[in-house]
Amino acid sequence: MEQAKYIGKRLVELFLTLLVVSFLTFAAFSIIPGDTASVMLGPNATAEQLSALRSQLGLDLPMSVRYLEWLKGAFTGDLGNSYAYSQPVISLITDRLPVTIGMSILSLLMVLLISYPMAILSGRRPGSLSDNTLSVFGHVLFALPPFVLSMLIITLASAAFGIYSVGRYVKPSSDFFGYLGCLLLPSFCIALPKIAMTFKFLRASIIEEKASDYVRTSKSHGLSDVSIMFRHILPNSTVSTITVISLVLSDILGGSLIVEQVFNLPGLGRLLLAAISRRDFPLLSGMVFYLALITVLLYFAADIVSALIDPRMRNNREGTL
Amino acid sequence: MNIAEIRNLSMSIYSGKGVPALILDDLNFHIREGEILGLIGNSGSGKSMTAMTIAGLLPESAQVTSGSIEIDGKDVLKLSAGERRKLLGEEIGMIFQDPMTALDPLETVGKNLDEILRIRNIPKEERKSRIISMLETVGFIEPERIYRSYPHQISGGQRQRVLIAGAALLKPKLLIADEPTSSLDTVTTVSILKLLKDICIEMHMTILFISHDLSVVNNFCDRVMVMKDGKIIDSDNTEDILHNPKNAFTAELLTKAKLDPRSLGLEFSEVDPSGSPVLKVMDIATAYRDGFFGRQRAKNTIEGISFDLYPGEVMGLIGSSGCGKTTLAKTICGLLKPTGGNIDHCSGKVGVVFQDPVSCLNPMHTIRWHLNEPLVAAGIKLTKEEREKKILEAIKAVGLEEKHLSRYPGRLSGGQRQRAAIAMCLILEPSVMIADEPFSSLDASSAASILKLLSKINRERKTSILLISHNLRVVRTMCRRVLVMSRGHVVEEGMTEEVLKSPKASATKALIDAERQLS
Repeated sequence: MEQAKYIGKRLVELFLTLLVVSFLTFAAFSIIPGDTASVMLGPNATAEQLSALRSQLGLDLPMSVRYLEWLKGAFTGDLGNSYAYSQPVISLITDRLPVTIGMSILSLLMVLLISYPMAILSGRRPGSLSDNTLSVFGHVLFALPPFVLSMLIITLASAAFGIYSVGRYVKPSSDFFGYLGCLLLPSFCIALPKIAMTFKFLRASIIEEKASDYVRTSKSHGLSDVSIMFRHILPNSTVSTITVISLVLSDILGGSLIVEQVFNLPGLGRLLLAAISRRDFPLLSGMVFYLALITVLLYFAADIVSALIDPRMRNNREGTL
Repeated sequence: MNIAEIRNLSMSIYSGKGVPALILDDLNFHIREGEILGLIGNSGSGKSMTAMTIAGLLPESAQVTSGSIEIDGKDVLKLSAGERRKLLGEEIGMIFQDPMTALDPLETVGKNLDEILRIRNIPKEERKSRIISMLETVGFIEPERIYRSYPHQISGGQRQRVLIAGAALLKPKLLIADEPTSSLDTVTTVSILKLLKDICIEMHMTILFISHDLSVVNNFCDRVMVMKDGKIIDSDNTEDILHNPKNAFTAELLTKAKLDPRSLGLEFSEVDPSGSPVLKVMDIATAYRDGFFGRQRAKNTIEGISFDLYPGEVMGLIGSSGCGKTTLAKTICGLLKPTGGNIDHCSGKVGVVFQDPVSCLNPMHTIRWHLNEPLVAAGIKLTKEEREKKILEAIKAVGLEEKHLSRYPGRLSGGQRQRAAIAMCLILEPSVMIADEPFSSLDASSAASILKLLSKINRERKTSILLISHNLRVVRTMCRRVLVMSRGHVVEEGMTEEVLKSPKASATKALIDAERQLS
């Protein structure tokens, strides 16, 4: 019951967020100067041609009507046709989604699988040789921008070792493992700075939890340091790190838009650039809306995961300390 | 028979390059089988460190430099780390001061206790039945429900019972109790002490009981040792130590702990009850917000509270934990908005001092910054010189010196921090000061000095004080009138002497009863 109420409350919040985002997106693209019809028809178009195209695209209708139409479409998956590609927006997006989503998931896995062991090794004994080495390594990763890392890694992997060819992409439907192979290196480039960030935060949190009273209680129960680390310290540090991880996730999404340019992959990033330069309003607003949807869903997932781990989140009224 | 024998034990803490600090200095004592041995002394005297050394739970920077610890005939310092860990729970059980944070918040009570048996490879079904029966032993009527509850769903007293259940689960011979009742109210304290005593007899346990509350020690322990600067300076049976002290330091500790107005030289301001009040509280109610938009209101936490406070008056506010004392204090000083009623500050200012001087000062800033902050917040425009003069005045008024201004809170002792917090309150020259348990987290010496300071402020500045405390002795010595709260209501009020002599409300009777059982 408590759980259902909690999830229900979060879903209402999620819906409201999406509504606000959709309105702001729509309003922003309606307000910015530039006329889609004149861009599409070029400088030699006559006034009649322009107004004909405008009414064909529905641009002559009042903004409120257009917004409601578009909103209905957004929630039913029909975002209209792209002006530039003359294809349904939704299929343009779903075509390119596997690249972006695949890279995001791979990067997230890398972040978790690498930063946790690093933080445990480091936080176990702050100030030790392994802690200092890992911390310096973390700082270096944190300080380098992803595109610099990308170029470095591309050069190393393709030119020096010849194990990667830039721009190669296989569809997941034809060869799933080939698809993963193509995304591995770009995902690693996105993940590196995020590994540093998650590591830094998790390490601090582990050190803090280590000094807490319940750890002392478990020691007095006779538990070894290793089981206290895995049974108590890690779950508790994860609770405070989940917020950071959800931030990292939306960063990863943004990062993948840039990195796919560097690696020349057919993802959402390139589509977004094309849509902006050609003033392809339906495509642009559709993409922004769906990226917002993904982000909001990620935060929702993070909330649910925290609630699963932390009972105080599930019934937070009694949970206030 | 001695259950523990400690000989020539010294321990130092190593920090960086400096000279190691000697924390325990050549301790020699023994704990007899079946006794309750009290260990008293000021904060920082080494009481807890003695306990942690015996248990083998010292931080990595600490090192035993000499001596031996024999528990049940074994020299534990010669054991390997793994063997020593095995002693914890089996031979030595431990409970600590703050039960609120001593359980893992992410696991149920049952799971928190389960680990003790799990690491000793006891089958699952047996583990559960043993824990449930132990929860029953420590006084839970519905052990199954407690087993399934999360720590945040049960009260502080219940959590301490859970921790006792954990410490006693494997029936260890020695139970180390480090200030187990200091953060509990008097009524709960009495019940926890009774439980410890019962368990001690029933399971043939010996207890090393660390406390700075002498009335608890007097009531509870067979023998008492006094520690000062890492040394045991006095030790005898409780009767002789607490009623007939031979050691000068012990005698001084006792005088301070009594918080007796004459021996402390306390004097309070005259009160004119016919004059106009400095604070009028009229029928206030407060609720915490709840619900999706924070609009829906939870049940009122406090309700229908009215009283007047006169210039120079010290009024007590008592009641068990959770009765709404702090909520009332927060409402009066404006930290919470009342949902009903009226508070008239009568054109004066209200200052507030809270219980925990550690967490109420920002560790990133100096004391000077802290004293300047209220002036900034109140929008008082002063020149640099005037500001400095005011800050200096305030710090001197609380008995600190100019040099403390440039220090960070981390470099002050608990008593000094509480003084700094009082200075923060005084700098705006309030006509009313609300002191919410201002000395319950301090040891006897610091508590006595804070008490003296409050009486001086009251006498010299005619500041009225609303004193929230669960220490009836303090209320008796300090307060002209007293309010008794229970479940969010004022259930009794009147002149302190009358109320405490012939209480009418059952809540007052329970408080007085608990205090009597302790002394």
